[in-house]
Amino acid sequence: MTVYLYLSLIPEALIASMLPPEDFGTHFAVGSQKRSRGQAIFFEVDRDLLPADAFPLAEADRRCVAQPDGTPKRSVYLSIYRALEHVPLAALRNLHLVTDDGRVLVIAPRPYEPLAHQPAYLYQEFCPVTPRVVSRQSPDVFVAGLTDATRPFHVPRLAFCDLALGDLQTDPASTHVDDLPYPNLGHLRDCLRDLQKWPDKQNKTVLRQMTQDVLFRTVEHGFYVGDASAVLQYPMPRREELEREHYAWWRSAQMTFGA
Amino acid sequence: MDAWFWLVPVASLAALGAAYFFFRQVMAEDEGTDTMRAIAAHVRDGAIAYLRQQYKVVTTVFVVLTAVFCVFAYVLKVQNPWVPFAFLTGGFFSGLAGFIGMRTATYASARTANAARDSLNHALRVAFRAGAVMGLSVVGLGLLDVAIWFFVLSRVYPTDGPEGGHHLVLITTTMLTFGMGAAVQSLFARVGGGIYTKAADVGADLVGKVEAGIPEDDPRNPATIADNVGDNVGDVAGMGADLYESYVGVVLASAALGAAAYLGEGSDVQLKAVLAPMVVAAVGTLLSVVGVFFVRTDEGASSKQLLGALARGVNGAAVLIAALSFAVLWFMGVPNRWGMWLALISGLLTGIAIGRAAEYFTSQGYKPTRSVAEQARTGPATVIIGGMGQGMLSVAPPVLSVVVGTGLAYYFGAHFSFGLDQIGKGLYGIGFAAVGMLSTLGITLATDAYGPIADNAGGNAEMSHLPAEVRQRTDALDSLGNTTAATGKGFAIGSAALTGMALLASYVEEIKIAIKDTLEGGDTFTFPDGVHLVGKAAVPDLDATSLLSMMYHYQVTLINPKVVLGLFLGAMMAVVFSGLTMQAVGRAAGEMVDEVRRQFAEHPGIMSGTEEPDYRRCVSISTRSAQREMLVPAALAIAAPVVVGFVFGVPGVLGLLAGAGAAGFSLSMFMANAGGSWDNAKKYIEEGHLGGKGSEAHRAAVIGDTVGDPFKDTSGPSLNILVKLMSMEAIVVAGVTVAYSLL
Repeated sequence: MTVYLYLSLIPEALIASMLPPEDFGTHFAVGSQKRSRGQAIFFEVDRDLLPADAFPLAEADRRCVAQPDGTPKRSVYLSIYRALEHVPLAALRNLHLVTDDGRVLVIAPRPYEPLAHQPAYLYQEFCPVTPRVVSRQSPDVFVAGLTDATRPFHVPRLAFCDLALGDLQTDPASTHVDDLPYPNLGHLRDCLRDLQKWPDKQNKTVLRQMTQDVLFRTVEHGFYVGDASAVLQYPMPRREELEREHYAWWRSAQMTFGA
Repeated sequence: MDAWFWLVPVASLAALGAAYFFFRQVMAEDEGTDTMRAIAAHVRDGAIAYLRQQYKVVTTVFVVLTAVFCVFAYVLKVQNPWVPFAFLTGGFFSGLAGFIGMRTATYASARTANAARDSLNHALRVAFRAGAVMGLSVVGLGLLDVAIWFFVLSRVYPTDGPEGGHHLVLITTTMLTFGMGAAVQSLFARVGGGIYTKAADVGADLVGKVEAGIPEDDPRNPATIADNVGDNVGDVAGMGADLYESYVGVVLASAALGAAAYLGEGSDVQLKAVLAPMVVAAVGTLLSVVGVFFVRTDEGASSKQLLGALARGVNGAAVLIAALSFAVLWFMGVPNRWGMWLALISGLLTGIAIGRAAEYFTSQGYKPTRSVAEQARTGPATVIIGGMGQGMLSVAPPVLSVVVGTGLAYYFGAHFSFGLDQIGKGLYGIGFAAVGMLSTLGITLATDAYGPIADNAGGNAEMSHLPAEVRQRTDALDSLGNTTAATGKGFAIGSAALTGMALLASYVEEIKIAIKDTLEGGDTFTFPDGVHLVGKAAVPDLDATSLLSMMYHYQVTLINPKVVLGLFLGAMMAVVFSGLTMQAVGRAAGEMVDEVRRQFAEHPGIMSGTEEPDYRRCVSISTRSAQREMLVPAALAIAAPVVVGFVFGVPGVLGLLAGAGAAGFSLSMFMANAGGSWDNAKKYIEEGHLGGKGSEAHRAAVIGDTVGDPFKDTSGPSLNILVKLMSMEAIVVAGVTVAYSLL
């Protein structure tokens, strides 16, 4: 049977499994006894493009075998720390967004295409760190800055998404923010005002770390993973498309109480 | 027999014929794919299983009560001998109305979902016509019951001889007793159905949505089918039996008041006063049949056009009844026709005012519900406080409307006077106002009943994995129904309040009849004020005794402790009954939660979609819980008038009924509106306000909605029945109260 490799972002881990991606997503969310629940975001990884010494792949082959009764091995953890930085972008395949109850949405990657200019962005980082940041930088510039090894603080590679800001991106004092579910909206406004006030300031942290589930409905353009050299983009389907073609996932995604 | 009478059976048969015609039309529709059929069959089987179980319990209760009434009537001879039979027929027709409505609804849901695959208009036609089957069955069976009993009793007690006037009083008060059969049936249907539907709903939501994180109507949730069955047994069968009881109660109470008010003014005049409520109800029924045909739009109609079509049917029938009732009163030659017509109009306006007030306090389009939603931003505690506060405030407009409407109806009925010298006619005016409200029940109930059908159609679409636009269409239908149903609900609630007062007068009339039976048997009777009546010779004096004099004789004043104690007990009954039904929902929902958790734990395949849940077990848990849990509240409601009558006599019973009526009406409005407000505050947030779905405010609003569920769908609606059942029962056992009371 095929052994798949998956790179999970929440939490960061490289996992081998005999389950194909959608089954793995369901398993990852609700467990083998279906008694747990929890969101998941993970990439499928092409093992042929992984550096030979980065992960114990032989161990994966040894342990990831079918049970005596023929049931496939569901998961073998190969790494739970600094996994993303060791997976080349070229090895990343589809991104999978899994809801609490195990519904899976598959998004294919594409080379980065610049977004239309926005005065401000709201980014939720997933891996390796998880702050929420307002920024005046577009995703490619943002990831390039944070992975720039010449800076005093940086990460080797970053996975994140951009979240909806609505009218706040142009007017931090806007009252048309009804559909934004973020807690402590006043602080978000303050951060956006700071960006406006200080033209040299590129980014401002809104939340130091993610404390709750991601509300997939707030993802604006999509997910990004990359470093200073390249960025992959996973465009989020538009709401109409989600309602029309991924209705079960979309309904389930809206059940989440996030932040 | 007066020629006008024949309009009653004609309208009844027309309504039942039209109901059958619409039923055939609904059945001619395709039920959709195999999955849709299978889901509909699950729901249908669950609903029938529930009704079978409920009818077993109700039959036992009816057998026991009929045996008791037989002892009262034939052994102790303290009760009208027709009571046991009238009681049984009332219960039978009420149950039949609920059964027909529910049966049709369970056939219609998949057909509506399938029609929604075609167009919104097609789905509206199927759902509305299925709702019309229920509406027209209720009024058709109600009028049939009234017509049969009036025909039979007027043959046994001729209305045209020298005793005709007294016979009319006897006939109408006897007929009123079949209202108790309907009330007992509706109590079980409403309370049992209410417990069932909320146990399933809360149980499904708590484990499915909150714990397992799966959406509403997800086929993986074992309680989903029970939830959909609950919509049918609570919102359709329960509502059908409830409104059947309201409808016949209103018509019969008005007829009884007419007979009493015009006693001594010639049997011809009196007969017209008796027939007028029946004939107005008959005309309203014919207008309802016509109105149903007017609910149609062109293909591709927008939601606004559909709403216009529904409103055209409902409002058109109301406007036409307002106009035609004047012609009816005029050509019938009813005494004080201008006054009676104005009383009817005041009833209609009161109903509209109550409906609009309820809409204002519960719709997310207005400030009160939006303020509850705003309070969700600070958490569940403030949502609950906000909803309770708005619910309490919302009591003012309907109570004030009833005060004004009842006052005006009395004024118009009493020949444009507030004096007490025409009290009987004034009360007749109040009864007539209530008749006006419910005269077009056939079509207003259709808009009420079609809501749960559209809701079930949505569930079927969801479970059958039909495209999202189908669900969007069924949701649109459901939402349209909620808007138009506000008027219908206003009429139902307002008529219950008005009927409560009319039934107090009927109770006193029944007391007179019980005393009369004693005197005619050659016995003596002494009122609490010391007035002594001896044998048959005193009967004319008793006949001439006015309602007000009866109050003096029984010392029904607020400084009589028996009255005040009765008032306290009545108010307590309303609150305790609500508490019992709320706790019943809590316990039944707890059992459902345990079962759903067990199934998820023991059958992992359910969550992954490889194993079908045991829907049947959840249906059976809801059924069993509902039957068990409704026994105590029902027993309390049935026992209270008998026990209070036995201890405190007539003054205590009048206090009990007045206390329960006043507290019950306010409490039911509070619960219904608070629950509606919480529900729509959640919907308002889900529409994308205050952070929308998934926000902290949403989480708080979901908790508020869960608290509000038993408020608006179990305890609130049951209170009206409690009040009416206690009034009806007091009337039925009036003879027992006269014969045996301790104090």
